[in-house]
Amino acid sequence: MFNDLGYQLRVVWACAKKDFHAALTDRLFTILSLFVPVNVLILMSLFVLAGANAPTAVVMEDQGPYAQAFYLAMSQAHSFRLQKNSAAEAERLITAGQIVAVVTIPADFDAKVQQDQPVQVGVKINNLNTDFTNDIRRAIPLSITSFYAKVFPNLVSVSVQEKDLYTHDTGYVPYLGVSILVIALMMGGLLQSGTAAAKEWENQTIKELLLSPASRWAITEGKMLGSFIVSLGSTVIVLLVLIVFVGVVPINWGEMFGFTLLSLVIFNTAGTLLGTVIKIRQPVIALSMGISLPLFFISGAFAPISFTTPLLQVIARIFPIYYQIVVLQHAFHGFALNTLSLGGNTLILIGYALVLIILVTVALQRTTVSH
Amino acid sequence: MKTNVASIEMVHLVKRFGNFTAVDDLSLTVEPGEIFGLLGPNGSGKTTTVNMISGLSAPTSGEVRVMGYGLGTHTRQVRQLLGSVPQETALYEELSAWTNLDFHADLFGIPGREKKARIEAMLDLVGLTDRKDSRVSDYSGGMKRRLALARALLHNPQLIYLDEPTLGVDIQSRRAIWDYILALRQQGKTVLITTNYLEEAQELCSRIAIIDRGRLVTLDTPEKLKQRFGGSVVEIESVRPFEMMTELRALPGVEDVQQEGRSLKITTQSGSNVVPQIINMVAQCCEIHEIAVRVPNLDEVFLHLTGTALRD
Repeated sequence: MFNDLGYQLRVVWACAKKDFHAALTDRLFTILSLFVPVNVLILMSLFVLAGANAPTAVVMEDQGPYAQAFYLAMSQAHSFRLQKNSAAEAERLITAGQIVAVVTIPADFDAKVQQDQPVQVGVKINNLNTDFTNDIRRAIPLSITSFYAKVFPNLVSVSVQEKDLYTHDTGYVPYLGVSILVIALMMGGLLQSGTAAAKEWENQTIKELLLSPASRWAITEGKMLGSFIVSLGSTVIVLLVLIVFVGVVPINWGEMFGFTLLSLVIFNTAGTLLGTVIKIRQPVIALSMGISLPLFFISGAFAPISFTTPLLQVIARIFPIYYQIVVLQHAFHGFALNTLSLGGNTLILIGYALVLIILVTVALQRTTVSH
Repeated sequence: MKTNVASIEMVHLVKRFGNFTAVDDLSLTVEPGEIFGLLGPNGSGKTTTVNMISGLSAPTSGEVRVMGYGLGTHTRQVRQLLGSVPQETALYEELSAWTNLDFHADLFGIPGREKKARIEAMLDLVGLTDRKDSRVSDYSGGMKRRLALARALLHNPQLIYLDEPTLGVDIQSRRAIWDYILALRQQGKTVLITTNYLEEAQELCSRIAIIDRGRLVTLDTPEKLKQRFGGSVVEIESVRPFEMMTELRALPGVEDVQQEGRSLKITTQSGSNVVPQIINMVAQCCEIHEIAVRVPNLDEVFLHLTGTALRD
């Protein structure tokens, strides 16, 4: 009977069903684990928004066509969030720390441009943040060049002949949104499965499992399936927020669903391993949070890892998160972020999943109840 | 299942945790159909021994066989034959009694067509049918023990192991649990109990093994253990009991004299006929309010054998 696959599958389903029931009864924790990934998504989105275009006041002392053209060039520089203010209002805003810079287009701007005389555009910068300060310092000269290229095309003889690798640009938010999806899946999966596994030890119910004739393999699979089902809830919520509210729509839905589920399997398996080895919920929670953030930052969350240092690239390639970001960016935006094919990346991820499953089974197999 | 074999056979069993030896060269046999008690103070190695019997812990050396099956080679068969009631019950407290039993039935491969009837029968046996849908966390300690017992019996095991079955249980529930255990013997099941309560062992067990510091101190029936302890225990309540202690200790045939409030407890040696002399001696000194002569209980046997009280 015990070699019977039907019996082992029954154990798998019984363990999954039991963990699902247990999660439903522990409502507070379930709600928390459902919303932690969403919370991560919101937090990281706020981070993205905070690091976006610099709020800048423009004092238009000249309303002439050249002044207007210069304003337009600034607005197309992808660095400013422009607002027109009076000189007094702009001064008040920068003193209050509400804007990064005040750009003053002088009253004689049009006249001097027309006469081909030098003209100074006043820039006052709140330089408490180098990131924003440098954005302003880079974007103003760029705006001047753009202005001249548009208004006096004959004066600017050097131009850019751009060839794009992809048919469309991808914004910072849509790129990072996909990476955030990976960290949200990671936190949700690790927390859910890690705590479900550790709880068995904390409550001593592990004895019920270990004293049964069921194979450790079936118990492991069952526990992971249970966590997987619970984690699906938070995954659906995160995907809804990303697609509906943030507006990051996948170009390949099938890939998106497939890679999301594969990622969930990996994170649930890793969480089960964590819970089985550590056996106490509190450190599992702390570790899940502690692992997720640094791995997120080094795994190409903001840009391909090839843009970073060689050491960081080596570290990133050790962990599955890097490959998950690669395949999900492909699903959402069609990018190929490394030299491996999509199939190659997928095989690596399947390999991670299998190794983790084996590790969990071995960990449970080697487990004895010490006294 | 193999026939005509011991239910449990331990041969030179040793378990070490680093430098600490929890079980030290333990050899004993539990026969089919008996209720066997494993007694010892906290930390004596009882639970470690049972963990090795159930395969939860691997011995450092030595061998355990359950119903003739070696644990290393036939772990699954052993687990199917064994029903366990761990000390901490290991119930899923957030789930109902029915869900706990249903899960256990799936883990032990009880056929789907029998499952419902067997769960109902077990709940009925332990008197929890009307609370089958309540969460276990809402149960009293006694109810949890009864449910854990029902779960252990659900897959119809031949050997049932109960770790401190009445620990923290009220007197009424304790009696009920004792009755269930005694009924198991009538069904031909073998029961292994670890307990700190000698009264419990005396009431239930056909044989008792006393272990201390991981070693077997003695193994016998409760009655024979008491006989081996020696003679009688004389309890005398008088006005000034302490005045006679030195003289009583000097009497040939007196093994021990202890004062407890206004009472003296005098333990005599086996074969001695010193009881009349004791009574005379105390009566000459002071007025006797109450006197009792009885056989020793297992607490006294344990103290005698190990030098420590059982509930240390």
